[in-house]
Amino acid sequence: MRVSIEWLRQYLKIEQTPEELAEILTRGGIEVGGVEDLNKGFKNIIIGEIKSIKPHPNAQKLQVCDVNIGSEELTIVTGADNILVGDKVPVAVPGAKLPGDKVIEPTDLRGVKSQGMLCSDKELGLEFVGLDRSKGGILILLPDAEVGSKLEDYLGLDNSVLELELYPNRPDCMSMVNVAREVGTLLGLKPKFADWLEVNTPLWPTDVKQKIEIENPELSWRYSALLVEDVVIRPSPRWMRNRLRAAGIRPINNIVDITNYCMLETGQPLHAFDRDRLKGTVRVRLAREGEKLVTLDGVERQLDNSMLVIADDSGPIALAGVMGGLDTEVTASTKRILFESAHFAGANIRRTSRKLGMRSESSSRFEKGVDPHGTVTTLARVAELLLELEAGVPMSFTEHCVCLPPQAEIEVSLKRVNALLGVEYSEQEVEQVFEALNFDYESKPNGKYTVHIPSYRQDLKIEEDMIEEIARIIGYDRIPTTLPQGIQTQGRRTPEQEFRRKVRHTLTEAGMNEILTYSFTKKDSDDIWGRRDMNIPILNPLREELGVMRTSLLPGLLETAARNTARRNLDLLLFEIGNVYWPHKLPLTTLPQEKTLIAGLVQGQSQRHWLVPQIKFDFYFLKGILSQLEMACGVEFTYTRLNNSRYQELLHPGRSAEITVGGEYLGFMGEIFPQLDEEWGLNRPVLFELDFDVLYKNSQTALVAKSYPRFPAIQRDLALVVPQDIPSEAIKNRILELGGELLQTVEIFDVYQGQPVAEGYKSVAFSLRYQSPERTLKDEEVISLNSNILATVQKEFGAQWRK
Amino acid sequence: MVQKERMIGLKAELEKIKKETLHKLEQLNTMEELQDLKVKIMGKKGSLTALLKQMGRLSPEERPKMGQMVNEVRAKFEEAWEAKAKELEQLALAARLEEEKIDITLPGYRLLKGNQHPLSKVIEEIEDIFLGMGFTIAEGPEIETDYYNFEALNLPKDHPARDMQDTFFITEDILLRTQTSPVQVRTMEKMKPKLPVKVIAPGKVFRHDDDATHSPMFHQVEGLLVDKGIRMSDLKGILLYFSRQMFGESREIRLRPSFFPFTEPSAEVDVSCMLCGGEGCRLCKNTGWIEILGSGMVHPRVLEMGGYNPQEVTGFAFGMGVERIAMLKYGIEDMRLLFDNDIRFLKQF
Repeated sequence: MRVSIEWLRQYLKIEQTPEELAEILTRGGIEVGGVEDLNKGFKNIIIGEIKSIKPHPNAQKLQVCDVNIGSEELTIVTGADNILVGDKVPVAVPGAKLPGDKVIEPTDLRGVKSQGMLCSDKELGLEFVGLDRSKGGILILLPDAEVGSKLEDYLGLDNSVLELELYPNRPDCMSMVNVAREVGTLLGLKPKFADWLEVNTPLWPTDVKQKIEIENPELSWRYSALLVEDVVIRPSPRWMRNRLRAAGIRPINNIVDITNYCMLETGQPLHAFDRDRLKGTVRVRLAREGEKLVTLDGVERQLDNSMLVIADDSGPIALAGVMGGLDTEVTASTKRILFESAHFAGANIRRTSRKLGMRSESSSRFEKGVDPHGTVTTLARVAELLLELEAGVPMSFTEHCVCLPPQAEIEVSLKRVNALLGVEYSEQEVEQVFEALNFDYESKPNGKYTVHIPSYRQDLKIEEDMIEEIARIIGYDRIPTTLPQGIQTQGRRTPEQEFRRKVRHTLTEAGMNEILTYSFTKKDSDDIWGRRDMNIPILNPLREELGVMRTSLLPGLLETAARNTARRNLDLLLFEIGNVYWPHKLPLTTLPQEKTLIAGLVQGQSQRHWLVPQIKFDFYFLKGILSQLEMACGVEFTYTRLNNSRYQELLHPGRSAEITVGGEYLGFMGEIFPQLDEEWGLNRPVLFELDFDVLYKNSQTALVAKSYPRFPAIQRDLALVVPQDIPSEAIKNRILELGGELLQTVEIFDVYQGQPVAEGYKSVAFSLRYQSPERTLKDEEVISLNSNILATVQKEFGAQWRK
Repeated sequence: MVQKERMIGLKAELEKIKKETLHKLEQLNTMEELQDLKVKIMGKKGSLTALLKQMGRLSPEERPKMGQMVNEVRAKFEEAWEAKAKELEQLALAARLEEEKIDITLPGYRLLKGNQHPLSKVIEEIEDIFLGMGFTIAEGPEIETDYYNFEALNLPKDHPARDMQDTFFITEDILLRTQTSPVQVRTMEKMKPKLPVKVIAPGKVFRHDDDATHSPMFHQVEGLLVDKGIRMSDLKGILLYFSRQMFGESREIRLRPSFFPFTEPSAEVDVSCMLCGGEGCRLCKNTGWIEILGSGMVHPRVLEMGGYNPQEVTGFAFGMGVERIAMLKYGIEDMRLLFDNDIRFLKQF
């Protein structure tokens, strides 16, 4: 809502600057988004009249005009060709300033001295001004412009506009009268309104010929109509045009302008029908399937049976509360008018305007709620303006009123006000608020009140609503700062929340960078990496690439890696912990399972450093990171070759693994399938995706400390040459088994392929650590164990001892 | 007489040994040479030892005298030897230190260390502040029903306030939650009739919006405290404490009337500008204040829908945008950076 200060001053004596007023309103709960100075920064623009137009002697595209600016006649050269002799135009005389601090000086234009400049609306920062002919050329003012006067005076630009950003609970403030009430309350002033605002009952004889029928009383409670004759269509007066423009509405003609002006004033949207084009009874009803209507904007609208329309005997003539029909539009030849002032249910208007993608000043008011008590009052104002503007004669009135909501009464108890706010207001303070609001109230014993809510404040329904009124008008700053008095509670994360945090911190400690990607993704890639065709589609996605809810974190990771790689961030250690959405069935009938996954991607290598060699971010590097996770969670992962066919075309079969924990499937890791990385613009990234719940379930929650043995350990190394296909871990596990109780740990400390190891073989070196908790081991024991191990693995794995 | 001569002879020899030895000692440069000298003088075959062996031939009166003289020379030698040894040790140490000198300007080796995403970092920080005040952390689904996201929050179908939040729909009744507020009702349903209900609910929310200041997915932290006798002044106290923990001890807050369908009264909360301290600057658009969250007293209808009697309990609720707080805290100007995930950006946190 754009509130003109000049207009507001009609009701209230405002001494504050627009900026001060904006602050007071904002602090009072009516947020002012901006204060606009209507003069965009021009000075000394005088209205002139074109007396003659001659071609420029030296330039084909220029014209030389004689322009009367009252005090003198100027010769001005212009390039525009839309002007005619007799036109009233804005003239920038020498010394004049245009927006952007451009100063106009007399100039020589190809041998002719130009004593100023004719301006277009754009150059002046103006909108909705002048005749249609102004488009793309010099601004041509209406004939009522006075030659010699200043343009800013004529257009009323010495004025500012407050741009209210209204919350949906205050649709009443889409009306100048109610804004004046609100400002009055906050400033402690009583607004002065004209008598028409008191009119509640029609002042005109009932029209016997025009019938009105509301067929859907649940969607329209009241339809009032004023019937007007002897209509003369012409431009409305300057003051009205200026106020409409300040409000952001283009002036059209006296009748249309009156409907808009009254709507701005009272908040009641109006519509004017050419009565001579109406056929029979005016009905408020739902459209019938298949009906059509060409609206004022010339577009043919397909209607359906959810849309409320105004119809006559021939069919729909207007989309109720949204837009009128072209057929019954007021035109230059209109003689008789039916002014509609009605109530329509907000929800229906909202749905219709959304369905058709049409929003208007009218629909935006109706959908938030218009006071049905005000239809006649607004028509009284229409009648007054018609006479004042000599635009027509109000003759008769007719209406169908189904019902009017009763006036609300709210019981307010001072005790509750003080208890809910944590304040100690007195009865006097609270009563002052009721008075500032101009609400009627009755005091009852013990600080209780019955407050009568005026019909324009539909937002006030319960005691808490009134408590907010009291609090905001006294000022939220008066509420003190306290702490809750109840029982003190212990705040802590649940074990699961704590665990999620631990996983996140473990991965960052291990060098990984956390990323956060959208929960919606492209269907193609989610189909590939997640669960094909089991991703939940969004009905109204932002873009097609964000069309489905993800079932895997990997597409987001790959996209992030690709974006980084394209920017030459080649070395990446990324992970994300987030939800994926697994529907029980599609289309969705119940909420899906939201599953937390942990996924990551590594690519490239560590930075070069003078001291240490670079580390490749490869399969083993990632496996190392996951082993950090194992340690942090107190679990052991088991890696086996992937046999899930889903990943066979996605991951390198020789460099990928399925991961289980406690015998349960946890997830997988592996290098991306050759060539697939190139499609993404990546270079051999290695990925993993783990199920958070499975990890959590298997994680050791209670840590039990073990003591360390007091007796020395004996360490023996064992290097074996084995066929290269034998998994190292199999040998390691067998050694552990053979070593029995005394063999504490077996670590692989070297793996080697190449000369002198024969082709098809690899050398794996194990470090065996023997120790007894009870005694010092003897060399002979260890030697005997070691040789047994060697003999067995030689036999079982075809291993050779590499001395 | 012979003995007397002997005595004189020994004396002269002792003097000679003393003189030569001390002279030699001066010349030495290494510990090895020093050790050698010691052996040559005091070893089994050393000159001083040889001298002592000859003392048996002296008269009993002269023997102690001679013994004393030898001991004096020995003591003197040992003293000089120790001093020399010390000197050489120090020289050797100095040489070693010099030799072991390294270029301390070369960079050290830093273990790989990753970073938390700024948003998860800010969420943890907010969580920790409220955990310290006795709140627990509640969670709810990101794909929600219309009922919990709107209706149970006093936003019936076709309510104009629904326009405040452009919604992604899955079906007519299932949607991506537009706010973390549905967790309020879910938590109350779970907790009823226990008191207090004292939770914060961080999480992802979704709105049909995408520009420099809006992301279609963003994060909120919801707060809810329901108990007997909760006042709006308590809301103010808790939020003042939070703001000071989050943005610095000298912060102040102010409440402005606002509207949310699920709170009454409702308030927008501004914190005094963390950049200029309230003087007015570019960040606060010269107002001295920065809007950080929405809040209010839980609407009686919402309490009812959560299973509590609004005649017996009251409560407050608040909700803040994590992105906004992260942007203020770290001076991030474009929200899209937070979801761009460029590692050059992420590595700063």
